Amino acid sequence: MEKELAMPKLRPEMTSGVLCAWLKEEGDQVEAGEPLYEVETDKVVNQIEATASGVLKKQLWEEGDQVVPGAPVAILETE
Amino acid sequence: MITFDSHSTDPYYNLAFEEYIFTHFRQEDVFLLWRSAPCMVVGSYQNICREVRPVKLWRQGVPVLRRISGGGAVYHDLGNLNYSCITTQDGGVDYGKSLAPILEALNAIGVPARQNRTSDIAIGEEKISGSAQRSAGGRLLHHGTLLFDSDLTALEDISVRGKNDCVQTKGTQSAICAVTNIRPHLAEDMTIETFRQRLLDHMVPDPGGRRELTPDQREEIFRLRDEKYYSWEWTWGRTPAFTYEKHGVFSGAPFHAAYAAKHGIVSDAAIDCPALDAAQAVRLLNGARLGPESFAGICEALAGERSPELLELLL
Repeated sequence: MEKELAMPKLRPEMTSGVLCAWLKEEGDQVEAGEPLYEVETDKVVNQIEATASGVLKKQLWEEGDQVVPGAPVAILETE
Repeated sequence: MITFDSHSTDPYYNLAFEEYIFTHFRQEDVFLLWRSAPCMVVGSYQNICREVRPVKLWRQGVPVLRRISGGGAVYHDLGNLNYSCITTQDGGVDYGKSLAPILEALNAIGVPARQNRTSDIAIGEEKISGSAQRSAGGRLLHHGTLLFDSDLTALEDISVRGKNDCVQTKGTQSAICAVTNIRPHLAEDMTIETFRQRLLDHMVPDPGGRRELTPDQREEIFRLRDEKYYSWEWTWGRTPAFTYEKHGVFSGAPFHAAYAAKHGIVSDAAIDCPALDAAQAVRLLNGARLGPESFAGICEALAGERSPELLELLL
């Protein structure tokens, strides 16, 4: 089944962050806790870990896109 | 709090040293002080072509490096002291909390410094320190520059103030601020070595906290330096996708160039100039790696002894 992973709120006032790098490509196997992408906000690069395991089916944003907290970022195909 | 000495002023080694300690010492709080020979350091997600003057720096022999934290481009030289604080991530982004111990130490040494804007330290309205962070795997790296007696003329000379806005790109933009050195503001003058020692004594008072890396650990840092920080893929290949367009004059003739670049590789080149073989230019540019070395080679092939003039127009 499919599972959506959402952009976390990295601090209470965060309005958006820039998805600056994907660390996994579509089709890659991802384990929960593994780094999945990086988000920059306020001069902080945050490495974001996957919160579930599965195959990365879809990257919903391109590198450089502004993403708001709570928005879906990736779709995983889980078992 | 523990500390390590990098024993090096090699900017590539020092970035690898900091990253290695960030990813390998995961239990203790670590404080580092280190200095690098002249170099420009851009943020993790910055466009080098927009944020620095790559051709000018290349001609001056000043290398451009990419770091692992966010934020903007900074200039390092031996008059600048860098600090790194590595701790367990505790809550969200809070520069005030990260800067407090540094400010306290600076004030104790006699530097009339205060926090300014979100992540800067200033004396009066002039910046002496910028900082940035990386958060990964539950650990936080907070690091910053401390302008002690840097060559501010060199810094001004290579700044991108007034640089032609010919790069259309995503990526983090640098802030350009008025800066000053710490040294002239001290009540009691001291050398950078003394400043470093006094800062270290404040931050790591316990002599048992002074650690040394093992030869094997240093070997691993050399490997990280060679494989990551020396690599074109990390420094240039991570430049966000962008398009470049420049109108000018080459060899007395009207000149227009445009290209796109993604992952640091040039595509969609278009050159229009009666003094150049446009078809050959397009052939050489498409597929080329961004960077002064490869572009200098292309300009040499296209323009011979006028290649320096062409290089200024293309990068």
